Amino acid sequence: MVDYNLERLNFLIVDDNKHMRALIKGILHALGVKNCLDAIDGADAFKELRHFPADIIICDWNMQPLDGLDFTRLVRTGKDSPNPFVPIIMLTGHTEMNRVVEARDAGVHEFMAKPISAKGLYARVKAIIERPRPFVRAGMYFGPDRRRRDNPAYRGSERRVADKESADSDGGEDGELSQAEVQALLDS
Amino acid sequence: MLEHTIERKDMSDEESVQVITPPNTLKMKVREGGAGAVDLAAIERAEAVIAGLADSYLEWVEEDLVKISEAHETLLENKDDPTDYVDAVFQIAHDMKGQGGSFNYDLMTILGNDLCRFIEGKTEVSETDLDVISLYIDTMKIVIAKRMSGDGGAEGQKVLSGLAMVVKKITGGS
Repeated sequence: MVDYNLERLNFLIVDDNKHMRALIKGILHALGVKNCLDAIDGADAFKELRHFPADIIICDWNMQPLDGLDFTRLVRTGKDSPNPFVPIIMLTGHTEMNRVVEARDAGVHEFMAKPISAKGLYARVKAIIERPRPFVRAGMYFGPDRRRRDNPAYRGSERRVADKESADSDGGEDGELSQAEVQALLDS
Repeated sequence: MLEHTIERKDMSDEESVQVITPPNTLKMKVREGGAGAVDLAAIERAEAVIAGLADSYLEWVEEDLVKISEAHETLLENKDDPTDYVDAVFQIAHDMKGQGGSFNYDLMTILGNDLCRFIEGKTEVSETDLDVISLYIDTMKIVIAKRMSGDGGAEGQKVLSGLAMVVKKITGGS
């Protein structure tokens, strides 16, 4: 197993809760990260991105006025986006299936369910380092390839669309997923 | 900036898909192994940071409990047009859900989640709904006052099952 030195990476932490920002920053510093900048919502983060060359963004979902989902879309598709390719980890208490699918379809790289753990956060960072994904522009979507496993022989139906429709029709809110289930959904 | 751009036709329809491979700048910036690399000890240090913030969490959550009680009061005063006020309670409960388990207060995550699920999307609230919200808030206060960390042990489980029973009774089992 390869261990990585993260000290040259720049992290942007976006959370409207100052305690969560302090917690994430504390964890990253303990993992050897030197450069962390924080922002209190999506709009603030987008402003910071103009002068802070973030390598990875860790972003909450529920924020005002610009939430994590709209921020992700703005980073990916905004005309004045400083870096449409920057990896985004959505770190949120929302763990319902439709929310996971929604975040993926906005263009996040990784989805991490709160409560937060150091091991879980490092696993997401490591996944981004080790498994860089090409970006795809398809219809309205621009973001990391949502097919994580490259299978050129695949001839089946578009299950991703089916996932979303299924989640939507369920109402989705009742289907709380564990982090393992979130990962399985993203990897499917 | 970009390594390459290719066009391909999707297998199932005529929609054009553009695939772009950005340079892997992260791999270039991280070093593998050596001093400062994230090993087991670094993970343990990071987990210790979380544990070290536990006392601070108890201060923060007391503030959140005051805020959610106030939000509940405001909701009571505005029950005829409650949408914004329900959302205010939801936002605080959602924060508490995310923080609780992070600091080894798993019951706070369970209660925060159940409260969120109960009120999410409500555009009107009944007296019963208001009572249930109040019960959740009171139960969270008990969990913190009695320092029921982890799964709360037998006492914590009793509190959870007691709450479930009361909620079932006052909502008529719905």
